[in-house]
Amino acid sequence: MKAIKIIIFLFVGICIIFSCDSATYDEIAGEEVAIPTYNNNVKSIISNNCLSCHSAAGDQYPTMETYAQLKEATEKGDVICRIDDQSCGSVMPQSGRMPQTNINTIKKWAANGYPN
Amino acid sequence: MNISKITFLVLFLFSFVLTYAQEDLFKELDNDSIQKKEIAAAAFKGLQVCTMQSTKLASKGEWYFLIAHRFGDLTEGFDNFFGFDNANTKIGGLYGVSDWLTVGFSRHTLDKNYEFSAKYKFANQEVNGFPVTIVGYNTMDINSQLSEDEFPLLKTSNRFAFSTQLPISRKFSNTFSMELNPIYIHKNLYEPLFEEVDNFLLALGGRYKISKRISINAEYAVRLNARKTNLYHNPATIGMDVETGGHIFQLVFSTSQAMNDITYFTNATGITEGKGIYFGFNLYRVF
Repeated sequence: MKAIKIIIFLFVGICIIFSCDSATYDEIAGEEVAIPTYNNNVKSIISNNCLSCHSAAGDQYPTMETYAQLKEATEKGDVICRIDDQSCGSVMPQSGRMPQTNINTIKKWAANGYPN
Repeated sequence: MNISKITFLVLFLFSFVLTYAQEDLFKELDNDSIQKKEIAAAAFKGLQVCTMQSTKLASKGEWYFLIAHRFGDLTEGFDNFFGFDNANTKIGGLYGVSDWLTVGFSRHTLDKNYEFSAKYKFANQEVNGFPVTIVGYNTMDINSQLSEDEFPLLKTSNRFAFSTQLPISRKFSNTFSMELNPIYIHKNLYEPLFEEVDNFLLALGGRYKISKRISINAEYAVRLNARKTNLYHNPATIGMDVETGGHIFQLVFSTSQAMNDITYFTNATGITEGKGIYFGFNLYRVF
């Protein structure tokens, strides 16, 4: 009984300590990059959020594993529309809208002419 | 009054409830031989109403194995075969440490999330006695999908989110039970443009038995402090309990695909233009 009480108080205590510690996605994304490039900024977002389906293994059209594939999907396909305003279909990724900082990075990358 | 003050107040009040409840339990022990009020039968048969937790706990020493799915958007029809192509899975276990404490652990597909939970009973509904059952429920989520490639300044604590709930239920008759559940959710990592860091909700759930083994359940939660810019909706779910021997099988239709309480309550996508209904089930096996 005593051990259980201690566990509960520890649990509550840990919750209180960590509760004070809030951050936004923007704050942990590091410094804002003026001209994001595929290799430095975009690739990690795509691989963490999209490639579980949009890859050869995931078998979901369009495949976005390489620079060329992603450029094509963004330029000619619906990538930006689906991750941002959704006027052309339901939100991507399927698990829910990405943090705005990720969306902005990809939009900026597109606006600057898809630097590699 | 700012948010941190409210948070402090809520936790402060909860700590009183906790000590009070323990005194109550000791008192119950003393009274045991003299006179004991009969505890009313459980208001809910399942550990969950639909996705929300009910006031039922595991008995001492009981192991529960649980598996749950929420399939993708049902309304997309054959495009994703009514959602079966995009299933989210929850797999986990629960253990009854004592009759008033159940601890649990589960893993979710969504955000590769690990969820720890603790559910503890403060009071039982009694026949001709105390009118309601009160339990406390806490969850802690660890998002293991966030990566340092994507967010270079990521700290471990950024992965955590917490929920504190106080489900209060009453069994009105043999066929009908209701539950009221005030909820506080805190996210260590949040998107300020379209979600809140501290969330207060009030959830309502009910169960109506239509035959010996089948009941219809429903639940709805109101987000009390969601701003206009918040992208998400109040979660709503209807479901059905089917009892089969050692299993409790729950079928649900929900407006949120998530199963972890934090995402379910605060990031429900809702129904827009007739889209966004998720079919799923919870399956519990007792050992």
